[in-house]
Order: sequence, then C-alpha cells, then structure tokens
Amino acid sequence: MAGVAAPLLQARGLTKNFGAIAATDAVDLDLNSGDSVGLIGPNGAGKSTLLALLAGDHRPSAGALTLDGTDITRLPVHARVRSGVARAAQIPQSFDRLTVRENALLPALFGAGLGRSEAEGWIAEVLALVGLTERAGMLAGALGLLDRKRLELAKAVAARPRVLLLDEIAAGLTEPEIEAIMELVLSLREGRAIVWVEHIPFALRGTCDRLMVMDKGAKTHDGAFAEVWENPELQSIYMGVSDDHSASH
Amino acid sequence: MIRPWEIAALALGLAAAICGATLIGSGSLFLLCEILVIFLLAQMWNLLAGFAGQISLGHQAFVGLGAYTLFLAANETALPLWLVLALVPVAVGLVAIPLGLVMFHLKHAYFAVGMWVVAEILMQLAAKADWLGGTSGLVLRPGGNMLAGEPERVVFAIAAFCAVALMVGLRVFLRTRLGLATLALRENEAAAASAGIDVRGLHLMHFALTAAGTALAGALYYITALYISPNDAFQINWLIAMMFVTVVGGIGTLTGPALGTIILIGAREAMTAWGFTGGQYWIVMGLLAVVVLLLAPRGLWPAIAARRGATQHATTEETEA
Ligand SMILES: Nc1ncnc2c1ncn2[C@@H]1O[C@H](COP(=O)(O)OP(=O)(O)O)[C@@H](O)[C@H]1O
Ligand SMILES: [Mg+2]
Repeated sequence: MAGVAAPLLQARGLTKNFGAIAATDAVDLDLNSGDSVGLIGPNGAGKSTLLALLAGDHRPSAGALTLDGTDITRLPVHARVRSGVARAAQIPQSFDRLTVRENALLPALFGAGLGRSEAEGWIAEVLALVGLTERAGMLAGALGLLDRKRLELAKAVAARPRVLLLDEIAAGLTEPEIEAIMELVLSLREGRAIVWVEHIPFALRGTCDRLMVMDKGAKTHDGAFAEVWENPELQSIYMGVSDDHSASH
Repeated sequence: MIRPWEIAALALGLAAAICGATLIGSGSLFLLCEILVIFLLAQMWNLLAGFAGQISLGHQAFVGLGAYTLFLAANETALPLWLVLALVPVAVGLVAIPLGLVMFHLKHAYFAVGMWVVAEILMQLAAKADWLGGTSGLVLRPGGNMLAGEPERVVFAIAAFCAVALMVGLRVFLRTRLGLATLALRENEAAAASAGIDVRGLHLMHFALTAAGTALAGALYYITALYISPNDAFQINWLIAMMFVTVVGGIGTLTGPALGTIILIGAREAMTAWGFTGGQYWIVMGLLAVVVLLLAPRGLWPAIAARRGATQHATTEETEA
C-alpha cells in the first residue's frame, strides 16, 4: 500500500452522553491488526460504553470511527459485524429457544458470511475452543451463567471478526477456566485486533501487549503493557485492581 | 431442503383439494372455505407476530386491500378472475413495502396500534371513494358480467392447496438460513443484529410476505361472498379471529393456528346448532381465551405437545411438532 496505511480501526473524539454524564468522553483509539489491548478502569469508567460504540450498539454523541479508512460511524450493528467488528457483551445475549449450536451458527452464517456446511465446520471448532462441545445440542436458555458467557464469546468469535471486542468474558470464572480463555485469546490474536476489558490483571498481562486505562469516560493511559502497568499514577486512578490485592488497605 | 414426505404431502394436498372441490356439497364448501381462509389469515399473523416478533393490530387492512384490489381489477378489466387473484398478493405485497418502511419508524406497541390506525383510515377512505362504491361497496362482476358457475369450488381448491403448501413451505423455510434468522428475531432482536442479521430487512420481508398472504386469503373469501363493503372488508373481527386462533392455538408454532381455527369455527357451529346467539358465542370465546392464557400461556398446542412428553424444542426442530 502506498503511503501510511490507515489503522484497521480508528476512533477520533468518540463521545457518548447519557443525559448530563459523558459515559465516554472524546476517546481517540487506533487499532492495528495483531494488536491486543487490555482495557481497564474502575466501574463506571465507560469501558462497556466504548465497546458498545465500537460495536455499533450506541450511536456516538460526537466523534468518528473508521474501519480500513472507511467511515463506519453511522453503520448499523449488523453491517458492522459483517464488515468485521464483533463484541462479546458483558451481559450475555443469547437466543434462548435455539440450541447452543444454532446460536453460534447464526454469526457464522450472517456475520462471517459462510455457507452452511463451512459454517457448521467452523462453529464445531469454535464450540470446542470455548468448551461447549458437549452442550451443543442444548437450548441456550438452559445454560448456566458461565456457559452463557462462553456462548457469548463463541458467538463473537464465530463471526470471524477482524476487530474482536471482549467485555468481561472471564469475570466469575475459576483460575483454570481463565487460563483456558487466555489460551483462546492468544490463539485468536493473529490477523486481528483484540480489545479485552477485564478486572483480572494476570489474564490481561498474559495475553495483551498493550494496556489502555479509562477513568470517568476519558482515556488516561495507552501504551506498552508493562510501561502503563508500572505507571505510579495508575494505582491512584485504578484502585480496584492490583495483582496481590495489597492496594486494598 | 425439501424432504420426500413433504413433497408427498404437497401432492396429497393437491389431490385432496381437487377431490374435495368436485365431490363436496356446496353448503359444506362455504364453511370449509371460511375455515381455510381463517387458517391462512391466522398463519400469516402468526408468522409476523409469533416468528418475526412484530405484532400488528392492523392486518385486516390487507384483507380489505386484497379484496378491493380483486374486485376492482376483475370488474374494470377483461383479465380472467383467477389471473387477477394470482396478481393480488403481488400487488398488495409491493404496496406493503413502502408502508412497512414508514410504519417501522414506530416501535413495538406504537407499531401495533399504528397498523390499526392504518386499517381504520383505509376503511374510511374506501367508504368515501365513489369509484369503490362508497359505503355500499362493490358487487363482483368480472368483466362486467355476473360470475358464472360455482366459484366456491375453485376457491376451496385453491385455499385447501394453499393451506397445505403454507404448512410445508413454512417448515422448509424455517430450516433455511433466513428461517433460522427469523427464529433468532423471535428470541432477541439485539442479539440477532449482533450476529450480523439485518433485523429491519427481515422484518420488512415478513411484513410484505404476510401482507401478500393476508390479501390472497381476503380475496379468496370475498370471491365466495360476491359482495364487498368497507365495513365488512376492513372490520376488526378479521384481526380478532387471527389473534384468537394464533394465541389460543399456540403462537410461534406451526400447528397451533390449525388447532385454534378448529376451536374457533367448531365452537361457533356447535353453539349455533344449540341455539346460542352470536353475542353469547363471543363471550364464551373471550372466556376461553382468558382461561387458556392463564393455564397455558403459550397456547394449547405447546401445552399438548409438552403433555405428550415431547421435549420443548422450540428450535428449528420444533417445526417437527
Ligand atoms: N444505557 C445507559 N443509560 C444511562 N447511563 C448509562 C448507560 N450505560 C452506561 N451508563 C453510564 O455510563 C457510565 C459508564 O458505564 P459503563 O460503560 O458501563 O462503565 P464500565 O463498563 O467501565 O463499568 C456509568 O456511569 C453508567 O451508569
Ligand atoms: Mg462494563
């Protein structure tokens, strides 16, 4: 490509107001293929709102968003998924009276645009990756919360996104389960950008090269993981998280 | 794709439609035509409300539109009646597309009530239009002549085959990718969009298709009636029948509306035979709806299916029920 290639995903001044509060306040963000970004910040910092803006669930109050240099600010959710931006939401959303397999099949068919047989093969892989193979024939409504979170992740992955947005997919999991998710995230890094919101430092440190911090809607830090993590300001902004919980006194 | 026994069912349906049309007595045919029309109407409403998740309180508008289109086109042109009948769903389906685009600006309850307003407006417009005969309506005179023969025989054959074809067609449809997407809509529209499904486009498709089917059923009915008026064709009783049959029978199931139709018409015939009045009939139907919805909120068919021990597979396999 001639000149400087446009970032895969670029946000400029992305803002979302809910009444008087700016849930997300003028956030700039560049994501390139291969980037894996951990996103942290206290509850209410605007992390989920930022991911919702990227996924198209919210229309921004201000700002612009491009994918491959093309403006997608006004693109509706379904078109964004088709063009390669998918999110596993913090609150899992499933099709309760469809089977787990059918739930994952839909984003493979409509999001990734695969044919039926190709999609069937692909979702068998995805369900194996998230550990839902044995539950594939169950109705999604019969799943427990953790399995619903796994299914939410499977649905996002099944769409074969180039930008994969993960919102607290590991919350509530046990350590071995978190490690399985980390492995999955690592295996998904190639050829796409990942933004992972999580309150589990070792999970982010083990999978992300970059760390971004949000507070009160604004992006406060964004850089190499270790650098941002070591930043002394971080602990004061982000009291909720520390590796050994020693900051809780 | 379509399964061998489904093709067999279509063939059987065609044979039964033709045999019935030639062998059954005229009096029974009128009743059977009405039953089939109610079933077709209810299945259309069920497809939109129970599967695509859009409740319309104005689908009687398409009954009237279909019937008026048929009467007008048949009376004013030299086209054969049955050709006009075939064109009616196409014409009304096309009209429904811009209507849907406008009405979809209203969401949920507003859409439902907005559709009812549309039906009321159409009734008023038809009543004001001299070229549609105003409040006294139109008599069916294809090409200017009285309709010869026994049209109810052809109507029965068409309606019976359509009913079978609709059941088979919907089963096949629900197994396709768009069918699966439709089931997803019923469950969760936001999640459907997140899966890459064009929710609005799919809603529009169902809106136009169900408008077309409703128009065809309405046109069939008024061919047997030979006469149409605004107060009859656009009446809310069409909607009540569609909703009663669907909700009591089992919304979001393919078999429910068939069961509901049998109950609605069966009870009416029985009560009439026992000397009850129309008012008493509707009171009983209203009570029945309340009782069913209290005891089996998803309708009778799902309750029966559960009782038979079938697991509640409301997935694409549910269409096997
Ligand atoms: N749909 C909404 N309506 C009103 N306020 C909202 C909505 N979603 C989020 N908020 C508010 O925006 C802020 C950011 O929320 P959120 O993005 O969920 O934070 P985080 O994910 O970082 O915990 C919070 O103050 C929250 O109450
Ligand atoms: Mg959040």
